[in-house]
Formats: sequence, C-alpha cells, structure tokens
Amino acid sequence: MATRERRPGSRRFSPAAAGADLLLVLWFAFSLFPILWMILLSLKTQAEQTSTYFRFTPTLENYTTVLSAEGERITSVDFTGALFTSLVTSLGAVALSLVIGVPAAYAAGRWAYRGSGDVMFTILSFRFAPELMVIVPLFIIYNQLGLFDTAFGTIWVLQLVTLPLIVWILRSYFQDLPEELEQAALLDGYTRTRAFLTVALPLVRPGIAASALLAFIFAWNNYVFPLILTGSENPTVTVAVTRFLGGGGQAYYNLTAAAALLAALPPLLVALSIQRYLVRGLSFGAVKS
Amino acid sequence: MSTLELRGLGARYGKKPVLHGLDVSVGDGEFFVLLGPSGAGKTTTLKCVAGLVDRADGSVVIGGRDMTGVEPYERNVAMAFESYALYPQKTVADNLASPLRSGRLGTWTEAERAARIEAVTTTLGIDHLRERLPKELSNGQRQRTALGRVLVRPADVYLLDEPLSHLDAKLRATMRAELRRLGEFSRTTTVYVTHDYQEALALGDRIGVLRDGRLVQVGTPAELWDAPHDTFVARSLGQPEMNLLPARADGGVATTAGGLAVGVDTNVSGPVELGVRPRDLTVTAGEARPEGFRVRGRVELAERLGRSVELSVRTEASGGGPGDTLIAVTDDPDVRERTAVTLSTEHSRVHVFAGSDPGAYAHRVGSARPRTDTEGEQR
Repeated sequence: MATRERRPGSRRFSPAAAGADLLLVLWFAFSLFPILWMILLSLKTQAEQTSTYFRFTPTLENYTTVLSAEGERITSVDFTGALFTSLVTSLGAVALSLVIGVPAAYAAGRWAYRGSGDVMFTILSFRFAPELMVIVPLFIIYNQLGLFDTAFGTIWVLQLVTLPLIVWILRSYFQDLPEELEQAALLDGYTRTRAFLTVALPLVRPGIAASALLAFIFAWNNYVFPLILTGSENPTVTVAVTRFLGGGGQAYYNLTAAAALLAALPPLLVALSIQRYLVRGLSFGAVKS
Repeated sequence: MSTLELRGLGARYGKKPVLHGLDVSVGDGEFFVLLGPSGAGKTTTLKCVAGLVDRADGSVVIGGRDMTGVEPYERNVAMAFESYALYPQKTVADNLASPLRSGRLGTWTEAERAARIEAVTTTLGIDHLRERLPKELSNGQRQRTALGRVLVRPADVYLLDEPLSHLDAKLRATMRAELRRLGEFSRTTTVYVTHDYQEALALGDRIGVLRDGRLVQVGTPAELWDAPHDTFVARSLGQPEMNLLPARADGGVATTAGGLAVGVDTNVSGPVELGVRPRDLTVTAGEARPEGFRVRGRVELAERLGRSVELSVRTEASGGGPGDTLIAVTDDPDVRERTAVTLSTEHSRVHVFAGSDPGAYAHRVGSARPRTDTEGEQR
C-alpha cells in the first residue's frame, strides 16, 4: 500500500490544537477590537458618536474636518502642521541620535574604561525612568532657555527616547563584529577613524537601519514630553489628536478617532514596509552566530 | 626588510599575565617560528609586535627603531590572522587591494595594483576567485586570501598566525612547500606562529618554543631536535612523542623503575628522566650490535600505520624490576605481537633530563654514555 507523505503544515485534527486555535482567535478579536471600534467611530457623524450600534451611515466627513480649517477652529491647532512638526522632530531626533549614538555605541562596544558601565547605565536609565519624573524641571529649564514650544526643543528632549535605543542596540552589533577586522585595517595602513568608517560602519548598516526605524516610531508616538513642552505653535501630532477631546467643552470622539488613525498611519507604513528587515535586524544583534 | 627585536616583552589579559618578558632577536630576512600549545601566548606575541595590544611591557624594536607608542598603521608590518579577518563586504581582489589603497604604504596606480594582485593570487592559486566574496570561499581559500593580503604589500616584518591550520592535511603539506619557495618570505623578516612541530621544523630558520608566556628554548631546528632544553621541548617535537622513563641516578648509573640501567655522567644524581625518540630506536629480531644502548623486550602491541609499524615494547624484567614500556617505530612489516625484539640506538640518542621537581619539566643535562661499572658489561 502506498503511503502518502504528509505535507508540512497539514496536521491531523486534535482537540488540543483546535482549542489553541480558538484561544488565538479570541485573543485576536480582543486585541484588535479597539482598532475596529476606532475605525467605525471615525466614520460616524457627530450625532451618532456615542451610539454603540453598528448600523449607521458611514461618512468620511470627519477626516476632511480634521485636515481642514474647521478642525483648526475647534482645537486652535493646525493638524496638518502638527503632522509636519512630528515628521520634522522625529526625523531630527533620530538623525541627531545617530550622529551622537553610533560613535558612542562603537566606543561602548569596543573599550571598557573606568566608569564605562556607569555611563551606559545612565543612558539606559533615560529609557526606564518615568518621563513625568523629569518633566517639571525640564519645563522650567525649557521656559528659561526659550526652547519651549520649538521644534528644536522637541528634538532635544526626544534624545531621551531615541538615544538609549540606538546606543544599546548598536553596541551589541559592534560587539558581535570581530575586533580583528579593524585590526587588519590598521595594519593595512588605515587610521583608527578610517578603520571605523570603512570597515566597522558598513558592517552594522542593518543594525543602524533597524534601530533608527524603531527610534523613529518611539519618537513619533511620544506624548508626555510634547504635551508639557509644546504649546499651540509647534505641538506634535500626538498632542494635536487629544485636542479634539475638547478640554472641558464639547468632546469630538469621532474627530479624535479620525485624527488618531491619521496620526498612526506614518509609523504603521514604516513598520509594515520594513517589517522583515526590522525583525532580522533586531534579532541579528542579539543572537551570537 | 628589517631586523626585529623583542626586549622584555610582557603582556597581560586583565590582571593575568600572558607573556613574561620575552627576549629574542630575529635577523633581517630570517624566518622565525614560534611553536607552542594553545594558550602559550603565540598570538599575543604577534599582536604585540603589530602594536595591537594596549599596555604591553618591554619594547619591540623593528629595524633599530623602538616601536613603543607607535600606532599599528605606522609600523609597516603585515599580519595574517588565524581568523582570516577578511572584510566580508569586499571581494577577494578588494581585500587584497586594501593595503595598497591606504596610501600609507606607497602609491600605486590602478594598473600597478591590478598587476600586483594578479601576481599574488596566481602564486597562491586563488586567481579564479578574485571576484568572490569571503563567504563564498572555503576555509582553505580564505586562508590563502589572508596570506595574499600580506604578500601583496611590502613590509618590514610579516606576522603569520597559524596560516595553514585550516587546510586539509594534503593541501597543508603542499602549501608548506610552497611557502618555502615564495621569494617574499626569503627576503622579508617573518614571524610564523604554529602549534604543528612539522611546520616549525620544515619552515623555520630558527624556532622559539613558547610555554605559558615564556620562551623555553630558541634555536635552529637541528639544535632543538638534538638537544631539547627540557622534557617539554622534547615532547613537543616528533610523533610519536619521545619515550620518557623516570629513573634514579647514582654513581654514574641511572636505573629506571622497571630495572633498565644506563650509564650517565657521574655528577648526575637523584631523580632523572631518560628520553629516547621512538624513531631513533632500531628494532631487530635477535641480538643487536654490541655497542651502544640496547634493551631486550617483547612486543605487546603492534599498530600498522601505513608503511611503518608503531610498537609498544615491554622490556625484559631485570634487576628485580618489572620492566618498562617503550614505544618504537619500525618499517619491518613482519614484527608481530608477542615476539621478542632488541631495541638499540647510539648512546648520544638517549637524553638524560634531571631535576624533576614534581609538576615541573626536567632539564636536559646530557646524553647517556657507556657504563663504566662492571655490571654493565655483562650482557
């Protein structure tokens, strides 16, 4: 009797596997429901915004309102301007972090000196210390230095978000790189700077791309810093979205949902387009080959 | 082209010292081999010469110039790393071009570079691989590329770290012969690191044996072979390893635990070790020539290894001893297990090592000699 080879992926039915699948489906429904709710909410009119029915007349009016002068009249903040500010500050923050962070990560990965562990821990502590802990002194400093509500001020404070990420991810990349490659370059007649630029740097490009994109998403999504440190001139998009909730006045949930979905698009597109690259880039540095 | 001198060269890994003050002087154009087991400090020595070790003690002098504090890229030394250290993003040709492009070692036109690379890759038999990336090469090809990156450029000193270790046995023998023929090596001062005694003996003008960060002995291959400084050097060279029999010397005679007795210098006394290389022992079926060192025994084990046969011989119990076990090698295919044989050699081939503190290596004090007491002449 001929036996049939089982194809990979095909499996026999078993109650345990079916139960696991069911749990997965439930989990997906649970975690994706808020997003579905938001999409539905963004399509409802002002009158229907608090109804829980799924039957309503869908409209794209909310999106046009958010992006038009009408939206600005409601929130006194230009939403498209905020989108642009977020783009500038997030890209600026990542660029500045790369300029500072790549050499810092190289130094941290290659040389141990007195206090090097403390320096690295301090950089890491920016990540796990609550932002609210430092926000009051930062607010006072920003007011006195004239950095309040400026794009440059936001770029500056976002270093607390982007720099630790880039330094710590890239440090493991540089550590995984054999030191003898740069030593070979030194013996080939290159200075230490040129050995870094021509040998080490090109080899950590995947890591630079992955950490930069991750840092971009984190910077874009940051809320607390721009909430306190920006006003009506240069708010980021995360701050602008919440303006539609109306401080004490009329709350526009449908407009908020539309604005939030618009604000989520750029990082979503970035993440989707480089998803495979991102996963590979992040895991490459972590796993020793 | 330059001389190389190490003066009290020391290095530590963390707090643990790995080199304890090496002193050696390598002549212009000399091929110097550093031989030692792994962890002896061979690679560290090379990296100290190249200037890649921070905080090394002592000094490295190349061509009369003290290199202390001189950056690696200004020392004009070339090194082949054991890990190859090929630039993974560059092709073989670009790897070889790297030292020529740095501008620090001289200037070449594009055509001169291409010609140089072609010559070197052809010599090393990797000319057909010039456009490949290192990941597309076998280990042997990578090793030859690493060697090529050294040969392609002029240098005062070549440093080669186990350049043949990853080749298969056949290719290793071929490359060993090739290396000797390469003009670059006969003209350029070279330090060659290996743990393979055959490479050391075949290639080295002189050999330095390194153990635990110390140079045990420096000498020509013949010197090391004929008069090893201690039992460590003696056992480092040759396969099978030298037979070493613990013995006690008294009144010009050394007697092993098994009862074997040979004449030694009268001022040697106390615990000694007697060493005979297996290949120095002549195996004869009956009686052997009357003069020299000889001992009768019975073959316990005969291992046929191609052309030669490795024998484990139990010597005849004599003087109340239970007999000793000696390894010998013969080309005679008819030697069978449990047959009686006589092992013999010249007295000068029997090394005497004295001063065996427990755990330390005994130093060579000379070779055996004919016994002067009456008992020795009876056989």
